[in-house]
Amino acid sequence: MNRFLLRRFGGALFVLVALTVVVYAIFYVAPGNVAQIACGPRCSPAQVAQLSDKLHLGDPVYVQYAHFVQGIFAGRDYSGGTGTIHCGAPCLGISYQGDQQVTQLILAKLPATASLIVGAFVLWMLLGVGTGLLSVWRRGRPTERILTALTLAGMSTPVFVIGLLLIIVFCSTLQWLPFPDYVPFTQDPAEWGWNLLLPWVSLAVISAAPYARMTRASMLETLADDHVRTFRAYGVSERSLVWRHALRGALAPIIALAALDVGMMFGGAVLTESLFGIPGVGRQLVEAVKTVDLPVVVGLVLVTGFFVVLANAVADVLHAMADRRVVLS
Amino acid sequence: MSEALLVQEAGAATTAAPASGASPFWQRLRTQRAVLVAAVVVALLVLIALGAPLLAAIEGQDPTTYHPKLVDSATGGVPLGSFGGISAEHWLGVEPLTGRDLFARVAYGARVSLGVALAATVAQVVIGVAVGLSAGLGNRYVDQALSRITDVMVALPVMVIALGVLTVVPASVPRPVLIAGVIGLVGWAGISKIVRAQTLSLKSRDHVAAARLSGWGGVQIARRELLPALAAPVITYSVLLFPADIVVEAALSFLGVGIKPPTPSWGQMLSDADTWYQAAPTYLLIPAALLFVTVFALTVLGEGVRTALDPRAASRLPIGTSRKKSGKKSGKKKEAGA
Amino acid sequence: MRQLSPRAASTAAIALVLALGAAACGPKDSGAASSDGGAPQKGGTLTVLNAKAQTNFDPARLYTSGGGNVPSLVFRTLTTRNREDGAAGSKVVPDLATDTGRPSKDATVWTYTLKSGLKYEDGTAITSADIKYGIERSFASELSGGAPYLRDWLIGAANYQGPYKDKKGLASIETPDAKTIVFHLNKPEGEFPFLATQTQTTPVPQAKDKGAKYELHPLSSGPYKVVKNEGDGERLTLERNKYWSGDDERKAYPDKIDVRSGLDSAVINQRLSASAGTDAAAVTTDTNLGPAELAKVTGDKKLAARVGTGHFGYTNYLAINPKVKPFDNPKVRQAISYAVDRTSVVNAAGGSSLAEAATTVLPTQKSFGYTAYDAFPAGESGNAAKAKELLKEAGYPKGLTVTLTHSNDKDFATSPEIATSLQEALKKAGITVKLQGLETNAYNDTIYNVKSEPGLFLGGWGADWPSGGPFLAPLFDGRQIVKNGYNFNAAQLNDASVNSEIDAINKLTDLDAAAKRWGALDKKIGAQALTVPLFHPVYKRLYGSAIKNVVISDWTGVLDISQVAVK
Repeated sequence: MNRFLLRRFGGALFVLVALTVVVYAIFYVAPGNVAQIACGPRCSPAQVAQLSDKLHLGDPVYVQYAHFVQGIFAGRDYSGGTGTIHCGAPCLGISYQGDQQVTQLILAKLPATASLIVGAFVLWMLLGVGTGLLSVWRRGRPTERILTALTLAGMSTPVFVIGLLLIIVFCSTLQWLPFPDYVPFTQDPAEWGWNLLLPWVSLAVISAAPYARMTRASMLETLADDHVRTFRAYGVSERSLVWRHALRGALAPIIALAALDVGMMFGGAVLTESLFGIPGVGRQLVEAVKTVDLPVVVGLVLVTGFFVVLANAVADVLHAMADRRVVLS
Repeated sequence: MSEALLVQEAGAATTAAPASGASPFWQRLRTQRAVLVAAVVVALLVLIALGAPLLAAIEGQDPTTYHPKLVDSATGGVPLGSFGGISAEHWLGVEPLTGRDLFARVAYGARVSLGVALAATVAQVVIGVAVGLSAGLGNRYVDQALSRITDVMVALPVMVIALGVLTVVPASVPRPVLIAGVIGLVGWAGISKIVRAQTLSLKSRDHVAAARLSGWGGVQIARRELLPALAAPVITYSVLLFPADIVVEAALSFLGVGIKPPTPSWGQMLSDADTWYQAAPTYLLIPAALLFVTVFALTVLGEGVRTALDPRAASRLPIGTSRKKSGKKSGKKKEAGA
Repeated sequence: MRQLSPRAASTAAIALVLALGAAACGPKDSGAASSDGGAPQKGGTLTVLNAKAQTNFDPARLYTSGGGNVPSLVFRTLTTRNREDGAAGSKVVPDLATDTGRPSKDATVWTYTLKSGLKYEDGTAITSADIKYGIERSFASELSGGAPYLRDWLIGAANYQGPYKDKKGLASIETPDAKTIVFHLNKPEGEFPFLATQTQTTPVPQAKDKGAKYELHPLSSGPYKVVKNEGDGERLTLERNKYWSGDDERKAYPDKIDVRSGLDSAVINQRLSASAGTDAAAVTTDTNLGPAELAKVTGDKKLAARVGTGHFGYTNYLAINPKVKPFDNPKVRQAISYAVDRTSVVNAAGGSSLAEAATTVLPTQKSFGYTAYDAFPAGESGNAAKAKELLKEAGYPKGLTVTLTHSNDKDFATSPEIATSLQEALKKAGITVKLQGLETNAYNDTIYNVKSEPGLFLGGWGADWPSGGPFLAPLFDGRQIVKNGYNFNAAQLNDASVNSEIDAINKLTDLDAAAKRWGALDKKIGAQALTVPLFHPVYKRLYGSAIKNVVISDWTGVLDISQVAVK
């Protein structure tokens, strides 16, 4: 187990370093005059040069990267005009465009994104795996068909269409729900959930289909497996076959997929966040990429990387628990 | 009760299955009515895509000509006439703002959307299966390396990848190829993760273990034992990748990697139409309905292919809409049982 | 302002403003535009639903037209825009100063005297030295973002690096006493009073300056103070500043203003049309009705009554770079001018309610000196025959192929839809147009760089203030061509007669006389077919059902928050 953890940790480190290097490399060659964007279009070349100096944009890319790494371990100092501002370790840098410390910026945005994803995740697993189960149990019945059609319709409709329709129906026309306005959980848990309901549903509806289909396919697959047949021949009850074996067997790909989706979504369910005005990392990322705000992009990608790694580790453990044949070697 | 029923059916299906045949795959595929219907729908869509110029010519329209007279400029460019301006000249009406013919745009859009999505899906499946299988079958170092590379790809936001690709790839590369490439690059991780997970799970099962013990090589095991078993999740998932890729293409256009205007695509039509649901509902409904039909047909077809490929019994259970007869039967049975 | 993004321009420029006034020159028609009966009352909370955050809420960093909409609630300036409907609203009026400025004979020295009893939110007095310091700090690289005019006009400002690095300050701004401030310019500038409306002339006491952190709590001189600023201006809460002595322009009816940003534009419009709960007392300062939403709103009389329509000085055009062949040939440029189909372009820009066909570079408001002309009459839908004829004369009897550069933004301004509509129109004249769509940054880097500037691209220009000066000078003054930075003189025109006329107009302190000559200059340059004007955008914005006293000036084109009442 210790070895497993050590290897995982090494792997995580590799992922994070690789991510930052790739992002630095891409932004180094990508178009967009950072200093001009930060300064404003009407800045004179002299002003742009000044700002470029201040942001150390003239340094070779490896020097900039070294400063970045240094900031993580030792913190950084930067000029705030009237005085020097200290950005304590782990300092992910200072936004080129807004002068904020990236670490603080991300910490401020993360709770909203986490709230969105965790709630949506619970819903889409219920919806997806539930539909999958039902479609095995109730093959060909109306419930199964309707649910299947719904999940497929959900996945073939962009989230901004579904989300907007939900807003119009429930907030504008029926006025059952407030127009979503993110309220932090710590401030008012009831309002938090109430306001996030529509974003959760939207995200769940578009994400559930793969889980429904995977559950169905894998369960049918496992039910036909030799060992299940053997069990059946030995008189194991059908209920036990379905629950303990078929569903268990179906879990492997579902867990893998869920880890992937959850990890990836910490990079932001961008469209959902934009539509519902959720102040999360996804919207921040889009803005940062548009303004070539490298420190913010690197910071956000690191966060995504962290959650991808974490979700994978959790998935591996769950996988081993679900499928007793797999051991954490 | 229903669990028992399910398994009874499974058993019944097993005994009823044709034991052999010249081409059991096609035979099995053909016997499913829903699959046939789905196949016809998919064929139709492909025909529309291939025959877009011909169809537009029959209609007497093309996808790029502006018809400013067919929209009401003062109210934001709503198509004049009912149902989005549907008429003998414009079979599906016209696009708001520009007055371009929707039927022609839908037909031409099918080429881009289906073509790009197909290429992207194939790329995703090929990369995903290759990486996933290698990770699942290889030793722990191979697995670690591949899994971590997959993580890096997953953690890189689409925008950043698109930016990188756009910067590196010369402008002379045709757009559809570029787009299929970007989508392929972005979306293979799902398949690879599923394949790896399934492979790890299968690796320890009796028949694979037996094959290993009897000295089979990795490739042989992969081909004979694993690929057939992987077919179920891979086909199921890739069928869903296809429509997702159509939507992703639309999203990419916001990042500057999309199809160049004035070429239409379904995804872009959908994203342009989102605010028009009230003022010009057909504008949103037409691409949405087409996408849904495509997804549905592909899902049924994918399910059929998967079932037919897999010679084992339960997975060959008739699916979805094709099950009318047996569905009724089982309903009766259940009533009797109750 | 904000040449780069017209929609955002109106947005950011047009923040909110208030006036509570009593003075003789106050708005006469207050309440005239109110949506329903009843005189506007003080009190209540006004909600602002916006897409873009009030980022960098520091007077040194804001780039506004006339002091902005939201910023103007907190920051008073030497002069400000007249808060009245229509054309009257494009006048410049005194704010902190007693008049709009006293020029020297040649308009190179401008003197202002501050009103008495002006105080900050902490009760301390506002002095002319604070205004000088406020301007100086806008030159610090930590606080970049403002307009270029102070840098270009004040003596010695071009290389000044701000008070943090250069403690001596700018010698060209004098403060002989606590109430007087004198500006020394390097050339005559009759429009200095317009410039003095921008937030850089907001007083900032040196003792309270926190550099880059000042934006979190800038000291208010206006009717409201910032009590909370979350997420770099994403949520701004403003409450009354009890030391504000009242001014002639800002009415400041609501007690509290809650600015929420980061919302989706479709959702903003849904909320305003539903107008439920607190949204009844809501407005937006940055979100227009889109074409689809407009179609829905027009069909509903109740909703239609809650739409504010305005014109901001902005022109969208087809820019031509004569340094690139074949555009060096005037006949080719004229052919293109004749071939454009403005009806299609207007439709692609959202229809005739959201865009008006343009044949002049200057916007149509009187204050710009608008002089009607149509140098190459293309009619409603283009004159393909005339264009073909000209192409033949130019030596292209079989037509030609050109590349049109546009951005991939879906902004109804330089977007693919506009580009394709031009592609269609030019096709009829035998001109094959290849489209080059670029992502925003690549687009800006390409079109604003003299080395990479394409021959033909979609562009636009907005007014820093409602006059011909900030329009025609950056676009056509040969001395403003920038070789190693962002250049806006797309035609790279360096014509001695144009340059000298610009200088001559800048000497005028009679702004009406100046306006006439800007109009004439526009017409003169228009004959060279260096830009093909396409359309002027029209702003249509919804407001909540409880909103009263809607004032929309020709300066900002949008509802002025300083005038709005919710009771």
